[in-house]
Amino acid sequence: MWVKAFGAMLILSATIMWSNTEIAKLRGRLRQLEEFRLALRLLAAEIGYTATPLPRALEQVACRLETDAVQSFFLSVAGRLQGEAAADAGAAWLETVRNLQSRLQLTAKDWAVLSRTAAGLGGLGREDQLKQLNAAEAQLASHAAAAAAQAASGEKMWRYLGVLSGLGVVILLL
Amino acid sequence: MEETGWQKHIVPLVAPRVRAALSALPPEVAGELEEIRLRAGQPLLLQTGRGELFGGEYGVAKTAAEALRLTAAELQQILLAMTEFSLYARDEELKRGYLALPGGHRAGFAGRAVLEDGRVKLLRDINAVNIRIARQIKGAALQLLPHVYCRQKKRVYHTLLVSAPQAGKTTMLRDLARLLSNGDAREGRPGMKVGIVDERSEIAGCFRGEPQLDVGMRTDVLDGCPKAEGMMMLVRSMSPQVLVTDELGRPEDVRAVEEAVTTGASVITTAHGQNAAELIKRPGLAYLLENAFFERVVVLSRRHGPGTIEAVYAGESVRKWWRTEGKGNVG
Repeated sequence: MWVKAFGAMLILSATIMWSNTEIAKLRGRLRQLEEFRLALRLLAAEIGYTATPLPRALEQVACRLETDAVQSFFLSVAGRLQGEAAADAGAAWLETVRNLQSRLQLTAKDWAVLSRTAAGLGGLGREDQLKQLNAAEAQLASHAAAAAAQAASGEKMWRYLGVLSGLGVVILLL
Repeated sequence: MEETGWQKHIVPLVAPRVRAALSALPPEVAGELEEIRLRAGQPLLLQTGRGELFGGEYGVAKTAAEALRLTAAELQQILLAMTEFSLYARDEELKRGYLALPGGHRAGFAGRAVLEDGRVKLLRDINAVNIRIARQIKGAALQLLPHVYCRQKKRVYHTLLVSAPQAGKTTMLRDLARLLSNGDAREGRPGMKVGIVDERSEIAGCFRGEPQLDVGMRTDVLDGCPKAEGMMMLVRSMSPQVLVTDELGRPEDVRAVEEAVTTGASVITTAHGQNAAELIKRPGLAYLLENAFFERVVVLSRRHGPGTIEAVYAGESVRKWWRTEGKGNVG
């Protein structure tokens, strides 16, 4: 009897953990999207107000971010630009997108927006550069709004799914 | 006399193929290099004090056919590297066609100008880059100093340096600023407060606001500022005893000079021109010469190398020079 109860508890814990992982992914995507939005706004401020060159601007932005993965994205682009092999900022940005894609919770659509940000990065005049960053930030804002709605409904669904699927498996095995 | 090492500043900024070429230059060529001319599809040209050379894959090439030819994409890459991949950060300089580089060097650009309201907004599709090597020659103006500085009155004469391009005006101007600023206790010449208005970052070679070339310990540099406005700013805020600027000529510059002089500051400036007849074409400068503003006029050439002093006109001889060589030769 105790063994069965222990087994049922294990199954239930596993399905709840699985559901929590999915919930964390939803929340993680939302948090990272918001962090990227903040980063793009900060970058626009560095460019617009103080015309800080990109390598230093990217480092400054990274210092003010809280999410490690997003922070390392900006530090990585800055590092590539300071290296001897650097050809242009857009290439450094895209290379970082490719390298860090698997480490973040963003979707293909989110990455597409971030990849488009690379076009002309550092190669435009101040006004055009700001327009480009603002456009990317606005697009990420709409993605973040959708991600927030998805997280709100998805969280409930995953929570129920976690418990109910666990119970279902337990009942089937009993 | 000492020189600055340009390779450590320039080489990291150029395209990889040019890096190899510049790094492999023989010391005698590197030491005399004045300009590096890069044009899309054309041979790499190296302008030295002794003449023009072709830049090959690894150093100097014998013929144009063996010389390195860069693509437009490589030139664009050079522009981006020189702006730290941030055109927006240097767009004001680029509108004027040049960039100040670390070490006091400069790069000039030619390409397609993007206009907005009839004014240049940005340069795109770069097709030529001219890297000018700043060569600080400490002591270059030692010979000139006694003509410019009055020991008895302990003041500097209002001085105009005249020469054709690349004859050493800016080198002389920079060294005069350094010598006057530092002073020399052994000679009984006290250091003076010097203000430099460096509209095109040529005199002090400022990079990120910091002078890259030695302009003296009592020198304040206003970098990238229009001359007239800069002179007034320095006079109001830094009370210079000597105001140094290059290429005076616009009417507003003249008004600023006249105002600066009322504060007791002496003005040292330069003008492009082979002789007085060429200066008369610039109304602002002609006005100052006509009214005997300059107490000293120094004519430079590169007859024995840049900075050769051809003539120094003082006091009444300035008027005479202006009347005979200037006004007398017009028309």
